[in-house]
Amino acid sequence: MRTIKGSVPAAAGILLFAVGIYLVKGLDRPDGVLRALPYVCVGLGCGLFGQGAGELLNALILRKHPEQAKNLEIERRDERNVMLSERAKAKGFDAMTYIFAALLLAFALMGVSFEVILPFVIAYLLVQFYAVYCRIKQEKEY
Amino acid sequence: MRNRLEEIRKERGIKQEELAAALEVSRQTIGSLENGRYNPSILLAFKIARYFGMKIEDIFIYEEEQG
Repeated sequence: MRTIKGSVPAAAGILLFAVGIYLVKGLDRPDGVLRALPYVCVGLGCGLFGQGAGELLNALILRKHPEQAKNLEIERRDERNVMLSERAKAKGFDAMTYIFAALLLAFALMGVSFEVILPFVIAYLLVQFYAVYCRIKQEKEY
Repeated sequence: MRNRLEEIRKERGIKQEELAAALEVSRQTIGSLENGRYNPSILLAFKIARYFGMKIEDIFIYEEEQG
């Protein structure tokens, strides 16, 4: 199952990379979106391939060493490790809340165009509302 | 909360690694429990108690926080 999980993104990555290279070479004087699209394809393809190949290699190695695979699974599910990871994420989120707010304020004071700031503000508020939504959902669940 | 995990484990001649493997947790978790840096979930506390054939309160001792 893990090999499938790795090979699909790896194959998609190679495909996207090939499409990107083809577009870079094949397009003569691209216009509009097509100017950036080939490079987005190459970048996305490389990223997907890297992630998929890593997953695939990992799965292949672990298949040969079931004892290590079991230890890794224990480490992953270990309650202390999970707690530490959740706590670190929470601290990161708290820091992000203040840092992004300060950055948005700085952008606004610098007079950066409204079209740039607005999507950032919307994304920022979405994340904050999502955190509130998760809290309410968990209040009902637990 | 205080616990007698290290004492009980050593009494029975079990290594941290062996206990960790039996409880399906990491060795670091056992170390942190023994040092008192980490308090286990109720599930892990039950697993530990069951592993040693004891009651939870014989291993984990609740102490009122001071000050």
